[in-house]
Amino acid sequence: MTVPVPQLRHRYRGQQTLAAIGRATRTHLFFLLRLAAVSVGVLWDAMRPSTWRRSVRTEFWRTLRHAAGGGLATTVFSGALVGLLMVSEALFWLGRAGEARLVGPIIVTVLVRQVTPLLIGLILVGRAGVVTVAEMSTIGPAGQQRALLAQGLDPFTLFVLPRGIALALASFTLGVIFVLVALIVGFVVSNVLGATQASIWLFFDGVVAAMEGYDFALFPAALLIIGLLIAAICCLTGMSGDGSDQPATVLPRSFVRCVVAILMINVIANLAAP
Amino acid sequence: MVTGGENLILELIEALPDTLPGAVAQVPMSLQLRSGDFFIIECRSTSWAANFADICCGLWPLKRGTVRFFDRDWTEVSDEYAADLRGRIGRVFCDGGWLSFLDMQTNILLPQMHHTGRPISELRAASAALASDFGLPGSPIGLPGKLAVSDLLCASYVRAFLGEPLLIILEDPLKTQFIEFAPALLNTIMRACTRGAAVLWLTPGDVVLFDRSAPATARLRLTERGLSPRALK
Repeated sequence: MTVPVPQLRHRYRGQQTLAAIGRATRTHLFFLLRLAAVSVGVLWDAMRPSTWRRSVRTEFWRTLRHAAGGGLATTVFSGALVGLLMVSEALFWLGRAGEARLVGPIIVTVLVRQVTPLLIGLILVGRAGVVTVAEMSTIGPAGQQRALLAQGLDPFTLFVLPRGIALALASFTLGVIFVLVALIVGFVVSNVLGATQASIWLFFDGVVAAMEGYDFALFPAALLIIGLLIAAICCLTGMSGDGSDQPATVLPRSFVRCVVAILMINVIANLAAP
Repeated sequence: MVTGGENLILELIEALPDTLPGAVAQVPMSLQLRSGDFFIIECRSTSWAANFADICCGLWPLKRGTVRFFDRDWTEVSDEYAADLRGRIGRVFCDGGWLSFLDMQTNILLPQMHHTGRPISELRAASAALASDFGLPGSPIGLPGKLAVSDLLCASYVRAFLGEPLLIILEDPLKTQFIEFAPALLNTIMRACTRGAAVLWLTPGDVVLFDRSAPATARLRLTERGLSPRALK
């Protein structure tokens, strides 16, 4: 029996569509699985003292210096801007409305839980993530992986692990600095404008009092996970190139993946708060 | 089977690489490299040299046969231990093997920093001494991309011989054109052999291959038919 041509074409198109959906799903799922494996691997191996050989420590300090030190000025500047535009405005308008008691909860909800992880994540992607992608693309299968393995150097232990831990710590450090700068600048500006008469210690006390117990766990956890994921995504994207990938394709891909991961962690952290 | 001197350092026993046709010889290969041995092996191309070096380092899967380094079968040791064993092998890679984002000093010292606890100052002094043996004013500095090809080649010799490795594998070390480095390289090879190391010089056709004064303990040829002795004309 012969099948009519139009039916065949229809079936062929349907199969092509299904294949395209399946291919995209598999690719993204495979990347997610690899991302989870790399992240868990970093945490697992980081706990073994034998992992931290001199070469790994050197790479860790180099990355930490680059990520935290290099991102410090941007973080301070961004923190000052957010303090100027958000904290001082909140202090000013809530003071005018006679709702100064809401300053703490609003700052905690907006600044600590939502803005800080998002902005710090973006700063880290721009400051350290892009560099990581560029560096890792030189040691993928099409790069110097063979030379590294032949010298008994495991690219994961030597480059991925220290970057994961360094970016996690840098993310937390920059996050704390960002919040402090935003609060201080916001307070100073509103004080200069005469919107608040309280001392800075009273202001800080109000903010800390507005934080719930889980904030002290979720805030550092979100920042640490964001740093770790940025490192893992950038390393994986950089190293998975087959040599034909250009920076013009790899960098946007890693940037989008990082932004999605940052937003996802932000959403999960906010949903996790009771 | 090709054999050499005293303590066995590298042994290929009927090693048949699992590979696509053309990547390297697809026949069982046997070789015994003992301490003090200096084998020059003529390969069909630099990629054959690189692949054969990978077979020796246990980085190439085998269909059958065994590759033993320092009396350990690569397939029977853990990944971690295999990496530590590879730390005792010095290599000159045909494509350089430099990490473009690390400076030359770190690139050269990295394997030693990873596998040994020798102080950095000591390693730097040793690398500077080796660099001067190869005619460099000191250990190279700066990023690999900024260095001349000849300087990179000398730096790759320094990295390969640093830390007194047990086995030194040189993939096309003169790149068929830097003949001026041959005397210094041969002197360093002889010193390494005297202290008990073994050296494999893989080349698609260096001048050393035809030089009777080169102190090789064996000259071989790697073809589709495997390893065979190579006679000097």
